[in-house]
Amino acid sequence: MGRVVEPIVYGDRKVYTVAAFNRGVAWFLRKLPSVWVEGELTELRRHEAWATVFLTLKDRETGATLGVTMARRLYDRLEDALAVGELVHVHGRAELYEAKGELGLRADAIERVGIGDHLVALERLKRKLAAEGLFALERKRPLPRLPRAIGLLTGVEAAARSDLVRTIADRFPAAKLVVCETRVQGARAPERIVSALAALASHPEVDVVVLARGGGSTEDLLPFSDERVVRAVAACRVPVVSAVGHEQDTPLCDLAADVRAATPTAAGMLVVPSADDLHAALAVRRERAAAALRKIADRDRERVERAHERLARGVRALLERRRAALDRAGARLQTLSPLATLERGYAIVRAEGIALRDAADASIGARLDVQLARGALTATVEEVRT
Amino acid sequence: MTEERSFEELERELEEVVAKLERGEVGVDEAIALFERGEALYRACVERLHAAELRIEELTPSEPP
Repeated sequence: MGRVVEPIVYGDRKVYTVAAFNRGVAWFLRKLPSVWVEGELTELRRHEAWATVFLTLKDRETGATLGVTMARRLYDRLEDALAVGELVHVHGRAELYEAKGELGLRADAIERVGIGDHLVALERLKRKLAAEGLFALERKRPLPRLPRAIGLLTGVEAAARSDLVRTIADRFPAAKLVVCETRVQGARAPERIVSALAALASHPEVDVVVLARGGGSTEDLLPFSDERVVRAVAACRVPVVSAVGHEQDTPLCDLAADVRAATPTAAGMLVVPSADDLHAALAVRRERAAAALRKIADRDRERVERAHERLARGVRALLERRRAALDRAGARLQTLSPLATLERGYAIVRAEGIALRDAADASIGARLDVQLARGALTATVEEVRT
Repeated sequence: MTEERSFEELERELEEVVAKLERGEVGVDEAIALFERGEALYRACVERLHAAELRIEELTPSEPP
């Protein structure tokens, strides 16, 4: 690149801009030879969208750290699948990230040397707790559908908190949150987390606890793999949702929790139902009630109509029976009527309107009225025979 | 009738009322009474959903020794 760094001259003083200084140092560093560096991999960030993979190496003796970058195409071709906690040898050269003036190691090769101590310890603890059944599926409790209050355990800085609050406020505004903030990093973090969890679990309304911690290095997340924390999560009075770290991190508290959420937002979706969904479900029930009522009313109306029809039929039948009886009576009446007798050739003889039954009741010369089946005669008595 | 009861209790009773109506083993008078009960439960549930904004209570754990 040649000499690209020109100072500004103020009288007898040469002054470099920050960019010029960084560029100059970067140029100087490029002259250093490539070397192998040994350290424990404590952070590994690889993303499909990034051209560079970012790693952090730690000195096991002193805890000194060094940022390492590697082109993703080179990283993806590495023989060894790397994991955080492993001891590695990195080949590369010093490099300055000019925009920030940060020193790092630009790697062209990485080889695994051994498994890191804390990872070994973690594996041992994981196996021990698994053997005790702490992570067993049978232990997982279902989350309450509608908790009276949601306990939230989160770090003091906590973007996780605002993510969760926003999600719950959007999804189910009538919810209640009980928040307990505590320091989730540092040597005393495990005790603090255990004590915060106990405080939340003893709150009378808290029906579920969310453990939320944004992403961080594996070391930052170590308190969430602490045996005391893991046991406290497993023993918690109410179900626990663990939303610690990112997808690829699996702190042990995730395994002991009843439900694991990828992010605090996902945890928010899990702990409260959507008010919109509940509304819809209520509306469906209301519609069902109305339909059932209509059905009952229709059924009863039909029954009334049927009864009415039967009544009408009954009345008609009754009338018909009566009419038939009347007809029969009429016929009988007919047979008893004197008119029928007249039809057979008899006649009714009346004297002064009174029917004669005895010849002695008539006198010679009297006028008699003779009624026939059809028409009548007036006659005069000529002889009386008794 | 509903103030001190949880949303879930109200919702459960609503479901019972609806199921009873759907079984249809009641007369129309009782059906109307059930329906009115269901409506009241429905309104109580909806009211709960509309309740005030998210309430947040801060809890300070006792500092471990």
